[in-house]
Amino acid sequence: MSEIEFEIDGKLVFANQGDSIISIADREGIDVPRFCYHKKLSVAANCRMCLVDVEGVPKAQPACSTPVANGMKIHTRNDKAKSAQKAVMEFLLINHPLDCPICDQGGECELQDVAMEYGTDVSKFNLGKRIVADKGIGALIQTDMTRCIHCTRCVRFGAEVAGIVEMGGTGRGEGVKIEPFLTEGIQSELSGNMIDVCPVGALTSKPFRYEARTWQMNAVETIARHDLIGSNIYTQTYRGKVKRVVARDNELVNETWISDRDRFSYEGLNHESRALHPKIKKNNKWQEASWEVALDFAISGLKKNAQNPNQLGVLASKNSTLEEYYLMQKLARSFGSENIDYRLDKADLSIGSSMLSNISLSEMESIDHALIVNSYLRLEQPMINHRIRKATLNGASVNTINNKKFDFNYRTNLEVLSSPQKTVLMLQSVLKSLHDKTKTPAPKHLSKITVDDSQNKIADDLITAERPVIVIGEHVNSNISSSDIMNIISEIATLANAKIANLSHSGNSLSAEKVGFKPSNKGKNATSMLSENTKAFLLMDVDLNYDFINPKLAADTFNKDDVFVVSLNSFEDEASQINSDVILPLASFYESSGTHINFDGIAQSFSASVKGPGDSKPGWKIIKVLADLFEFKGFEYTDSTQVADDALAITSIGNNDIVDKNTKAIDDSKIAIHWQYSPYAVDGVTRKAKSLQETPIGKMNAAFISLVTAKELKLSGGDLFHGVPVSINETVADGCVFVHTYQSRKG
Amino acid sequence: MIKKVKKLVKDFGLGELRTGLKVTGKEFLNNNITVQFPEERTPISPRFRGLHALRRYPNGEERCIACKLCEAVCPANAITIDSEMREDGTRRTTQYDIDLFKCIFCGFCEEACPVDAIVETHIFDYAFESREGSIIDKKGLLAIGDENEKEISKARLEDSKYK
Repeated sequence: MSEIEFEIDGKLVFANQGDSIISIADREGIDVPRFCYHKKLSVAANCRMCLVDVEGVPKAQPACSTPVANGMKIHTRNDKAKSAQKAVMEFLLINHPLDCPICDQGGECELQDVAMEYGTDVSKFNLGKRIVADKGIGALIQTDMTRCIHCTRCVRFGAEVAGIVEMGGTGRGEGVKIEPFLTEGIQSELSGNMIDVCPVGALTSKPFRYEARTWQMNAVETIARHDLIGSNIYTQTYRGKVKRVVARDNELVNETWISDRDRFSYEGLNHESRALHPKIKKNNKWQEASWEVALDFAISGLKKNAQNPNQLGVLASKNSTLEEYYLMQKLARSFGSENIDYRLDKADLSIGSSMLSNISLSEMESIDHALIVNSYLRLEQPMINHRIRKATLNGASVNTINNKKFDFNYRTNLEVLSSPQKTVLMLQSVLKSLHDKTKTPAPKHLSKITVDDSQNKIADDLITAERPVIVIGEHVNSNISSSDIMNIISEIATLANAKIANLSHSGNSLSAEKVGFKPSNKGKNATSMLSENTKAFLLMDVDLNYDFINPKLAADTFNKDDVFVVSLNSFEDEASQINSDVILPLASFYESSGTHINFDGIAQSFSASVKGPGDSKPGWKIIKVLADLFEFKGFEYTDSTQVADDALAITSIGNNDIVDKNTKAIDDSKIAIHWQYSPYAVDGVTRKAKSLQETPIGKMNAAFISLVTAKELKLSGGDLFHGVPVSINETVADGCVFVHTYQSRKG
Repeated sequence: MIKKVKKLVKDFGLGELRTGLKVTGKEFLNNNITVQFPEERTPISPRFRGLHALRRYPNGEERCIACKLCEAVCPANAITIDSEMREDGTRRTTQYDIDLFKCIFCGFCEEACPVDAIVETHIFDYAFESREGSIIDKKGLLAIGDENEKEISKARLEDSKYK
């Protein structure tokens, strides 16, 4: 890369060979109008708005597709450039409707801005304007294709970033249309970014339609905490309500994109089932109470029921903030209880998910091989999947070991099917093959393991790759031998010199790990708390139907007459009313300040965007006041940042779990049921976001069974399996039922 | 000396009185210019900026499209609008309030309106019986518009040649 020297608007600048004029102009703060150019997409040069004058070239040149050269003299604002730009603007405005007053893009529209500078007030054309009929493209994006200026940013976004080509240009000349190829709507989990890249009002947010004008809203910088990334976002608020979420650039975290889950989940905040006032259950009747009364009732109930500190259990969901986790565990430990856990959805709690990832997000982009184990990565962690997709575009290969074949948005080499109960065996075979190939002695217990071709191939790919990574996904959580899987994977990684990305975490669970929000010193874990003698529970944002791996066990426990349950919750539904004794309304996402720790270990703090509705209060304040009422020391906080400072100062929490290296024997004659929630059912707010639930991903509701297994279970297509329609499918491993649904697990 | 004599003559000759009576006498014979408000009214310019109104199209459809430009331009923050998507998919207001205590009758709202929905009528004689009465809602504004549509459109027509 030789440095070259050239002049732009009389200013001497330096650039590398191959840089485009527009990227250098952007760097130098010189404004060149553009529509089709986007820094993260390929160059199309089809809008012609960025024409600039290059000395010595007879015609104006597009700045986005013209590379700089030594000694070039570029003028972006002389008469020639200006007249070229004005002419292009005039063409663009021939067909663009003058409906800015009812257009949701009005006020933040690139065409509007550029037209103010380059447009004329009177059109020379008096012919009719082109009108394009709209095809609906789903519940998230509103189309007004008459406004489209054919910049093709959305088309390129689909092809290059989302990896699913859903929008395309059809027709020619005047008849060209940008439209979806399929009628069932946009499928991508990143589709909302098309709204951001669209320079005009052709693609706008459907849930936000006509809600507010762009200039009325306050943009608050905050963090989305639905996944491990902690995408940087702006919440745009109007009269105390979050009206819209848009992406905020952060090259280290989410680049320019955010997932649909981060973008549209805010709708759930205004759901009618929000808990607005503290409520207490007296004589089996719910009554509203003031905060003082409710807190006193909660304290006395907890004290009465948990006379031995060991009888108190504290549970939290995976979406609380670092501050909430820290204060909650501190409260429990001050009380004398070690029964603390957030791993409500894990079947195997014998290891404290001790395996940490040792790869960073940016490294994910430069891997040359990935082995994905137990994960539908595209939907679970869309932004991490995006990094792997980028790597595959540079030639990385991907193998998967899953209980079903999934749609990835990149090519996979080898997709190996393995039911949950056979995953350990499968990985042991890979490990053995690795031992054979690296000529290291295999431990004794592997001697009886057989290896087939596909396992050899997986091992081969891992060894031959220079920068391989093994990705473990959420599906491992419901596997009763997940600790074995983790152990074997770390052995495989050591042998193959591979990095590990443990994505079985989600939401803000890395914060919970950070502050030690799990039992130590023989405390009870989530499952044993429910089955053993625990008389009082403190629940933090826990949804009784969805969050537990065994909801029935949880409901039965909470429902006992002698069990007292205090529930800090943003929502109150039938389940929370039946099963708890006190409901304390909790401020939800964007309503409370807090901190999220992401995959890279970056702690990102955010402040509240809006105030919680009704009497709801931020979690850290509720816990602090509870602790004050218990008269515990060490809760003298006045600000959540003080809590975060204390929480982040924790260096290591002793992990007292004994890692059992011996693999457990599993009965693999049984048929395993794997209940996996759809990505839009991962937390309370998202589940209540109406538009997300109407998308194809949100409507996922099928129990996939292979033909052999279906015969065994005497099920046929269309039957209901625990309330979920059965789909006979040959892409699912024999011996398991893979339920992918938004419905809560029954039984 | 001469000044003093002149003043004496004027004073004793009732000079001031005669000057005053001269005006009285002249006006006594001239036409009357006082109007008997409210039975009689003075003429008003078509550009007069009085009480606000929301207009409708001749087919009865309200003009306002909830673009909120009037709300944005209002220097006194007197206008409050809430919008929604009406069942037929069009952009409409659910709330359109003007606080007449805040309003300074500058006419910017009228200027900003792309569909001539919010206008200022010739009505200037109105009163409120309660403090809340100063806020006129959408229903009230539309009613004023319906009642005075003839006059409103006449004034716009008269002024149109100067726009």
